[in-house]
Formats: sequence, C-alpha cells, structure tokens
Amino acid sequence: MMKPVNFGIDLGTTNSLIAKYDGNKVHIFKNPVGQKETLASVVAYRPDRILVGDKAREYLTKDPVNVFGNFKRKMGTDEKYYVVNIDDNVTPVQLSALVVKELKNFIYTGETPEACVITIPASFDTMQSNATLKAGQQAGFKDIFLLQEPIAASLAFFNESGDDIKKDGYWLVYDFGGGTFDAALVYSTDQELKVVDHEGNNFLGGTDFDFAIIEKIIVPEIVRQTGIENFEQELRVKYGKYEKLYYELLYYAEEAKKELSYSHSVVIEFSAEVNGKRYEFSISLTREKTDEIFLPIINETVNLLKKVMENNNLNAKDINQIVLVGGSTFVPQVREQLALQTGIPLNYSSDPTTSIAAGAAYYAANKYYESSTVEEIPGSEEVTDEILSKVEFTPPDLEIETSYNKSSRDKEEVLLLFCEGAYENKFFRIIRSDGGFDTGLISLKAKKTEFLPLVTSVTNLFNLSVYDSDHKEIKNLSRQISIAQGKYTVGGQPLPHDISIEVDDVENKTTKLEVIFERNSLLPQKRTLYREISKTIKKGSKDSVIINILEGDKSARPSSNLTIGCIKITGEDLKTDLVKGSDIEIQLHITDSRVLNTSVFLVMTQQEFTNVFSVSEKHISLDRLRDQYNQLENELVETIKQFQYNANDVWEIKANVLLEDLQSAKNKLFKLKDGDKSDEKYIIAQKIMNVSKESDKLGGNERISILIEEYFELKERVLEAISSTDFEKDEMRKKFQKIEQSEDSFIRSKNVSFIDSKLKQLHDLHWDALCNTTSFLISRYVLWKELPKEFYKDYSAARSLIKMADVSLEKEKYVEFRSQVFSLTHLMVSTDQNFNKDFKGTGIG
Amino acid sequence: MINPAHIINQLFEMQSKIKEGGVAQNFERNFNRLFSLFEEDGFIVQDPTGEAYAETRTDCEASISGRIGSKMKITRTIKPIIYQKKDGVVQLLQKAVVIVENN
Repeated sequence: MMKPVNFGIDLGTTNSLIAKYDGNKVHIFKNPVGQKETLASVVAYRPDRILVGDKAREYLTKDPVNVFGNFKRKMGTDEKYYVVNIDDNVTPVQLSALVVKELKNFIYTGETPEACVITIPASFDTMQSNATLKAGQQAGFKDIFLLQEPIAASLAFFNESGDDIKKDGYWLVYDFGGGTFDAALVYSTDQELKVVDHEGNNFLGGTDFDFAIIEKIIVPEIVRQTGIENFEQELRVKYGKYEKLYYELLYYAEEAKKELSYSHSVVIEFSAEVNGKRYEFSISLTREKTDEIFLPIINETVNLLKKVMENNNLNAKDINQIVLVGGSTFVPQVREQLALQTGIPLNYSSDPTTSIAAGAAYYAANKYYESSTVEEIPGSEEVTDEILSKVEFTPPDLEIETSYNKSSRDKEEVLLLFCEGAYENKFFRIIRSDGGFDTGLISLKAKKTEFLPLVTSVTNLFNLSVYDSDHKEIKNLSRQISIAQGKYTVGGQPLPHDISIEVDDVENKTTKLEVIFERNSLLPQKRTLYREISKTIKKGSKDSVIINILEGDKSARPSSNLTIGCIKITGEDLKTDLVKGSDIEIQLHITDSRVLNTSVFLVMTQQEFTNVFSVSEKHISLDRLRDQYNQLENELVETIKQFQYNANDVWEIKANVLLEDLQSAKNKLFKLKDGDKSDEKYIIAQKIMNVSKESDKLGGNERISILIEEYFELKERVLEAISSTDFEKDEMRKKFQKIEQSEDSFIRSKNVSFIDSKLKQLHDLHWDALCNTTSFLISRYVLWKELPKEFYKDYSAARSLIKMADVSLEKEKYVEFRSQVFSLTHLMVSTDQNFNKDFKGTGIG
Repeated sequence: MINPAHIINQLFEMQSKIKEGGVAQNFERNFNRLFSLFEEDGFIVQDPTGEAYAETRTDCEASISGRIGSKMKITRTIKPIIYQKKDGVVQLLQKAVVIVENN
C-alpha cells in the first residue's frame, strides 16, 4: 500500500532537526531530553556509552579522538575516524546514521517511520548524496528521498507565505548558521524549483560574532583594568589558567548578542580573578559598537551572495526576495546590512532555525512509498498487535530483569540490570522523564549497574529502552522505572496524619488549615512558611499572634484536628508594634522521633521565638479554643437550618443532639482563666474535636453527594453569571478557575466542611458576578431605594446617594451608578453584623 | 507575562555576586524566601555547584575547563537548574549553564 512519506530531516553540519507534515501543517519534533528542537550533530564515544547531541558537543574540543562533529563535510569521502575508546574506525556515514537515529527518538507519537526526506547542501555531489542515502538506510529507513537545502527553505517559505506573493523567477537563499554559511540562487516556475548556483564558506558562522565581542570589546577592557598586555594570548591557551574564564566570556558574549537583537544596549557584568587579584568588570555594549565589529563578518557573507549574482549576470531587480535561513539571521545587523548592500527585499516569514526541516516535511507530504506495515482491520487491533509483537519485535532469546529501590531518601539510586540470552551487540538507554538525565546508548552485559540521579521530593520516572545492534528499539523490552524520592522507605517513618497550621480567614471571620507536612511524608521534615500578620498588635498589649500546629485531616476544619504545638506571642513580648501586613516566617522541623521544633521570626521587629514540643504533650490556647467553639457552633446552627429547609428530619435531630453536646461545654469554656492549671481545657478541646468530627459525618455519603451535586449546579450558574457581567469579568474568571482547579482535591477529600467551604466561595462569587451586572444592579437598586428609614444607618446620606444614582442611571453612566449603589449598601443595616463579632483569630493571614 | 525563569536567573546572579562579596549571610534569609516563593508556584531552583559532573547530566550545559577526567566537578554555575512542577509532574524548565573541572 502506498503511503505519503510526511517525515523530513534537516541533517545539518552543526545542528539537525526532524519534522512531520500532519495534514495541514508542519510539526517540528522536540528532543525529549531538554525539549529543544535542534540536535547538535556531534557523536561522542565515551568509555562505556555513545552520546549524540548537546552532551557530546561538550566533549568535542576536549576529547577529539573520541568525539566527532562537522562530519557532514566528509560525507562521500573515504575518510575514517579512529575511535580510541572502542579501538575501531567509524565513517562519516555511520556517524550521520547515529544522528538520524537519535532524531527518530524525538518522535513522541509512537510512529516508526519507514521513509523520510533528508536535506543535503546544494554543493553535494553524487558521492556525497549517496553517502547521505546510506546513512538514512543505516538509521532504519527503507525509502529515502533527498532534497537540496535551499529548495527546502524556499518550499517552507512558499507554503507559509500564502498565495498573494509572486513566486515565479529568481530567489536568493541566505543560510547563515552557527558555524557555516551558504548562499544559493533558486529559480522557480509553476512547474519547478531548482538551484541554479551556490557559494559557501564552511568556517563562517554566528559563533564568529561571539568571538568578535570577546576579542574586540571584552579583552581590551580587561587589559585596560589589569594592565596585562598579553592577556588575549593567555586567554586562548588550551588548558591555560584563563580557560575557565574564556568559557564564561563566551557565554556572556552570546547572551549579549542575543539581547542586542531586541535592545539598543546591554551591560556585561562579571568578576574574575586575574593574576591572583579579583576584578569587577562592567562593560557597556551598544548596537553601534557591534555594528562596527560585526561588519567584516557580515561583509564576507554578502560578498559570497553578490558573487552568485555576478556569476549569473543578475542584478538586484532580477531577484524577487532573499529568503533568510539559519539562527544567525536573527542578528539585526545581518538583516540591515543585507538589505542595505543588496537592495533586495528580505523575507523572514518562516522560522530561520526550522525552515529547512519544515520544507523537507512539505516535500515529504507529496512523496509516496510502499508501506510494509500491516493495516489495522477495525475490531481486530488486539489480535494484530499480538501477532506483530511476537513476529517482529520479541527477540525470543533475551530477557532483562531490573532491580532497584522504589523509594529513596538519597540523591541517587542504583539500578541493577540482569540479562539472560543474546544480549551481545545490544544496547540500553535510560532517560528521566523530566529531561534532566540521559545515559546515552550503553552496551548490554550479563550484569550492569547504573546510578540514577533523583530530583528531590518527587516521584522520578525513568524510561528504559533496549536497542538491537542497528540501534533500532526493541519495543517490548522497554519499561518504566518509578522511584519516589523523599517518600517513606522501610527505614523511615511516615507521618500518619497531615500536619497543618491554623491561619485566619478574615473575610469569613474564621480560621482554616494550611498543610505543612502531608500524610505519608517521611520523617524528618523541615519547612519554612512565609505569611503576613493579619492584625496590628500594639507593643505592650494583650493581643497576640498564635502559631497553632495541628495534626489530623488537612481538609477538615481546625477544630477536628488535634493541637500538637502552640506558640503565643503577645504585645508584651514585642520590641515595637507589629503592624498588620508585616511578614512572619515560621520554620518547622519535625524529627524522626516526632519532636516538633518551631521557630518564628517577626521581620518587622527582627525578633525570633523558638519552642520545642514533644508531640506526646498537648498544647492548647484558650483564645483559639473559644474561637473554634464559636465557629463550630455557628456552623452547626447553619447546618440545622439547612436540614430544616430540606426537610431532612433525621439529620436535623442528630445535628441538634451534637449542638446540645457542644453547648454543654460553653459556660465552662468562657469562664476558664488563662492560667488555669486544671485539665478542664483539655476535656473541652476533646469535646469540640469529637463534635466537629461527628458533624462532618452527618448525613454520610448521601449528604456529600447532595453537596457535590449542588456544587456542580451552582458552577453552571456562576459561569453563566460571569459571562453576562459588565465589569471585572477577567478578575472573576480567574477566581472561578482557582476554585475549579481545586475541584478534584476537595471532591476527593469527601469532607463535608471542605466541600461546604468551596460551595460558599462559589456562592460568594455568584453574588459578586451579579453585583457586577448592570441589569441586576438596577433591579436591586429599584427595591433598595424604596426601603424605609430603619433599614439605613444614615438615612440622609442614603437619600443623597439615591439622588446621585438616579442621575447616573438616567444619563446611563453605569460605572458611577455601580459605585453609588455599592456605597448605598454600606449604609444599610446589616443583618449579620453580629456574626462572630468576637473573632480574634490567630493573627496569621 | 514575565518569564519566571528570567527573574530566577537574575536573583541567582545577584546571590552569586553577594557570595563573592563575602556578605552573603546578611541576605541569606531574603534569598531563601524569594526562592521559596517561586517553589510555592511550582518552580524548583537548584544550584549544582560542587556536584559531580558526568555526561549523563542533561540538566546542565557544561563547558569543560582543563582536561577531562573521571572525577569531574561543577565549579561554577552561571544559570541554575529550574524544574517546573505542574499537576504533580516535574519537567526541566531550564538547564543550568555551568563550568566543569576535573578534580
């Protein structure tokens, strides 16, 4: 069966890319390791593994007998590279094949392409072209189509520029990469696209700009400050004393070059030790200065371009446009000089870095090959898969077993691989899924160990792949390895419950829990919390900040948790007033033996308070206990009202019993003195905790289902209300998304008070949305303006506001109208103004 | 919106300069806090200075100073490693830019 090729490869001298045409556009694949679209065309034979790409490039200058780049220039020659580490020769074709194979690993869609288009420079002769074909075959492609790079770039440009552009005639393709330059003259008609002529320089590229910045700007400044005349020579000495500085300077020069492509000036700042003395350097670089030093490099490229035109007796007016290709064409001076010196319009509509690969993919969309894959018959996928896996992929004589710790507290874990059967000439490779670790290809042995570095406090996923002697993946031997770092192991003790801190929810005059250490975290644990003080505390006053540490379910209300540590800082402890909004830092450390160390730092007063609690002792603040009591009592009263409204008689009776039980402790609790030495406060705390837990169980799963259903119904209404608002729409959408994001966690918590609190947030948002809708505001206003005197705190102020609002409404000034109506509501006598008026809170926001 | 990695890089550079100036202790708490704020937003910042270096470390872009050997170490970090944690999944957001030397 004939299939379109669709895959295109830019096999470059410095970098390579792979792309696919998928129906209507081209998709450039990214390297799963590091997510870059480009792959360095460098291969390193390290002592026990083969690396391809950026990692290999790091060793290029340091280990030239084992690491190879720029081999594209040697394609089609009989040159071989002797590799010391493997004591064997490799050819440019083999090295190119390794690059193509590595590019195939970028294809995350699971496809294994059998055919592809590979681009070649316009200058490649038949031998070089055939060598490229051979590299493609060695990489596992059955059918390969070659395409000249300037044609590929033109194709990308034609496909992406639309139909309104004149395409017939001559085009220049200006390809300025990291290390090479090529200029090509392309002629296009309706029927064909051909390269007429070309020129190039294999040793001219964007890195020359970086060298120029170092040589012409940075070095003279270093010489000026240090007085060392021969500094430049010393800087360039291989393994010399300034080699480390040289690499730093190269990085700064490249960054400065990039920044100058969008800013007018840039400052390079660094410190360096020169002749045993430390110097601080701050070097200004302007566009004008780089214009001067980049010009000779740019002129070389322009001269080659002009040479192509002269050789073909063409003038600027004969050329439609210059198509820009290669990362160095991002440099503004390149574009300016090119336009200035040639007078030909420039075109950079397609991405210069990826346009050759994209053009190859467009070309591939119109090329067909005979596919050897068995087409899936609908309904028989399972059978086909089974047959294929047995026939094609399973080497019957190889088995691999892995052994490793599934959880670890170390920064790396050792993986043991045991192979049985035909493991010779086969390879394995392990890549960490976040892209931060890649072993490269390593030969399989009967027994092999590999150290896997772990990112702390997360589950690290590694993909182990196995390859045959041609570096083709043996799919059914691949597997995933999961190692949780920082999670509990046999040797460590997990926390049985969440440990949280109680913080204020000032708006709702209540407190809530914020988790510090989650259940099942491995002890010891350490964390610093940064919060703000939620109320001003005067120096010398009795007001206090309470750091209340609780253990229990993080989704429950604070009163359902057990207090395991408490620090109370009163105004008497303060050196100066502690102002609302100032910062508080709370450092918590829980040891293996579950001893809790708490350290509190008040940034404003620069005071530190420390305390050590043994979790076996209880610590209770009476103020907090009274707040908790009030909160729970209010919630129970509200719950009973809800049950009455919904006629849930049985639940109502049970809730009333709980309320009575709770209220039986009220008198004692509010009569207790601060220094009370009896057990009374502990007994009351226990009662509050029990009632709180029981209150969450009221109605069981049925109540939870009702609440969830109510949540989803309300969610729809809120969304609708937000879409019809006239003010602050974006703000409310953000609030809605925030609630929606936590949806999964609160539904899964199956905790009534948690779900209830989210419902309340949604109700508030609904009300906010309505109040930001002009039509709703008008309807409410019409009712409010007619309310009798006793409904307002200051009736005369209300009357004058009503007069102003009437005028705004008449003149359709809705912004003013809205603010006047809001002011009016503040003058109304609130029905719930006495709600929890004694709320003191923890003082932590 | 500002790219958080750019802000992290600037903070990291400031911290490095302050360390070189020998007054790092005065600012330690502030830097810890700043990086902790980013961590709350899912950005985990790591300074690999002093860690062993091997070619398997694809979390770093290294320039090797001096001769290569078996005990290579990261001696200078120009940009830190940044991971981004989103929906429980950790991804490498930025590779560190480092200088590596053999011990």
